[in-house]
Amino acid sequence: MRDYTIFIPEFIAAGSALGIIAVDLIWPRVRKDLLAYLCAVAAIAWAVASVFYIGKTPNSFQGLIQVDDFTTYFRLMAAGIVFCIALISPNYIRGRIDAAAEYYALLLLGCCGLVFMAAARELITAYISFELISFSLYILVGFLRRDIRSNEASLKFILLGAFASAIFLYGISFIYGATGSTYYDSISKAIDANGSNTAIVVGLMLILVGIGFKLAVVPFQMWAPDAYEGAPLPITAFIATASEVAGFGLFLRLFSSAFHTGAHEWAWAVAILSAITMTLGNLVAIQQTNIKRLVAYSSIGQVGYMLVVIAAIGYGDAHAGAGASAGLLIHITGYIISTLLLFAALIAYYNRTGHDTIRGMRGMAETQPFLALIITVALFSYAGLPFFAGFTTKLLMFQSATSNGLLWLIALGVVNSAISIYYYMMIVREMYLFDPDENVKRFSINPLLAGLAGVLLLAVLFIGIYPGPVLHGASKASTPLFQAGADATSNVTAQMLPK
Amino acid sequence: MVPLENYLVLSAIMFSLGVYGVLTRRNAVLILMSVELMLNAVSLNFVAFASYLDPSKIIGAVFAVFVITVAAAEVGLALAIIIRLYRNRSTANVDEVATLKW
Repeated sequence: MRDYTIFIPEFIAAGSALGIIAVDLIWPRVRKDLLAYLCAVAAIAWAVASVFYIGKTPNSFQGLIQVDDFTTYFRLMAAGIVFCIALISPNYIRGRIDAAAEYYALLLLGCCGLVFMAAARELITAYISFELISFSLYILVGFLRRDIRSNEASLKFILLGAFASAIFLYGISFIYGATGSTYYDSISKAIDANGSNTAIVVGLMLILVGIGFKLAVVPFQMWAPDAYEGAPLPITAFIATASEVAGFGLFLRLFSSAFHTGAHEWAWAVAILSAITMTLGNLVAIQQTNIKRLVAYSSIGQVGYMLVVIAAIGYGDAHAGAGASAGLLIHITGYIISTLLLFAALIAYYNRTGHDTIRGMRGMAETQPFLALIITVALFSYAGLPFFAGFTTKLLMFQSATSNGLLWLIALGVVNSAISIYYYMMIVREMYLFDPDENVKRFSINPLLAGLAGVLLLAVLFIGIYPGPVLHGASKASTPLFQAGADATSNVTAQMLPK
Repeated sequence: MVPLENYLVLSAIMFSLGVYGVLTRRNAVLILMSVELMLNAVSLNFVAFASYLDPSKIIGAVFAVFVITVAAAEVGLALAIIIRLYRNRSTANVDEVATLKW
């Protein structure tokens, strides 16, 4: 039974993407800001449509895509990201990017890919969604046509991305060969029944490389700093949030259902990747002078913390796994809100001064007290200081991941958080302790950006002080992960299982 | 019938050649061709597995078709980006394009 109604939220998002392009084609003289507002409205509609699926029994489309609370959580995050990016973009785009319609359309389409990566229960679907968001990002990173840095960033990004997706596919081919199926449920059953063998281990490692690339896990992080620096500023924020959310959506869904039965084959690898990722990310971040590159390395460090949870899922049973996933979801939520907050302020500053170096932020507390405050709050939240979202969510995440054999990893995470405070404070020092350069004038901030930043600021404080509601949502969202697929799914997959 | 191992060895060789090409070539177009070689190895793997596991189930063959389609889109996108870069810098060599450094 093909049930298309479960895709209504994505129909809205993708339809609006095409609608935005159509509006631009029909009225070429339309104000480009209007397209941004259209995109924001589409994001709101997307979120509202998704809310109706909360608490419904999980439903799947032919066993390919499953819509349950986990998917809904990702839909809401995706819509939130698109909403914020659409609202921080228009001022930046003015005069820099001509093809504004395609820009907003790609944001929406990329986030559809994000949602399907989290919702897929079958490897072909997961792969296509993976490429949907990757392609959108390749184009968006190179959107500043005449900027050499942007061209170079998108070239490096697409070459390394294509390389990584080929490795990912090669891994999938081995999993398919060893288990005879591409459905997560059947893979899980086949590994359970036959045990693992060399082909499965090779396949798992190659798949880890592929997802690791998407997440900028350390041996595969080369693209991240360049893409972050070369991309237009709002797109830097988009990569930092959407790419990470998408990667972890796929990671959680795939490794909790398909590969959980073979967890002893990959859990150690994830733990090692986590350790080197957080350490290297934080150490290299110290010597950065460009704020975008600093954010790139700091987000690599954050990915390292989040991988602790994936390792914990591998070492724990299903019950512990659900708790750990909830911790991961809430930390990602806190992380994307902090990131969007940081970039709202950075973009407001960049639009008027053209500075994206740390040196260029000197004395911001005097010229732009509000922006300096916002950046400080966002950085404190990244660093994990109390009362801000980052502290609470990181605490909940590490708490949920505490299981035997991983205490060393969590201790390393705490040490790394301490290191990260150093380079975040360097920025705060630059803003508060030095006088501004003489040619930097006070200017008024765009009210839309200021309002958005204010709302995000409140959200950071709210999650930091009272995480209850979000945690409740995250636990609800992670429950279906470790249950066998919905009845509809198991019926379909039963027919697909090799005889 | 040719044993499955032969196909797997052939695809492993193709894949390794692709990886070698990506790591050693300087020209972006040649890197792209090496990636294509890797993707062809993947398709070969899928088709070989599909026919050996159970010829009546065609998931593997379907996957190969998807891989080919997405690879075509990827090449189109990458070539567009390379042309853009070539217009601005008059080079398509990745080692000459290095304004961004850590």
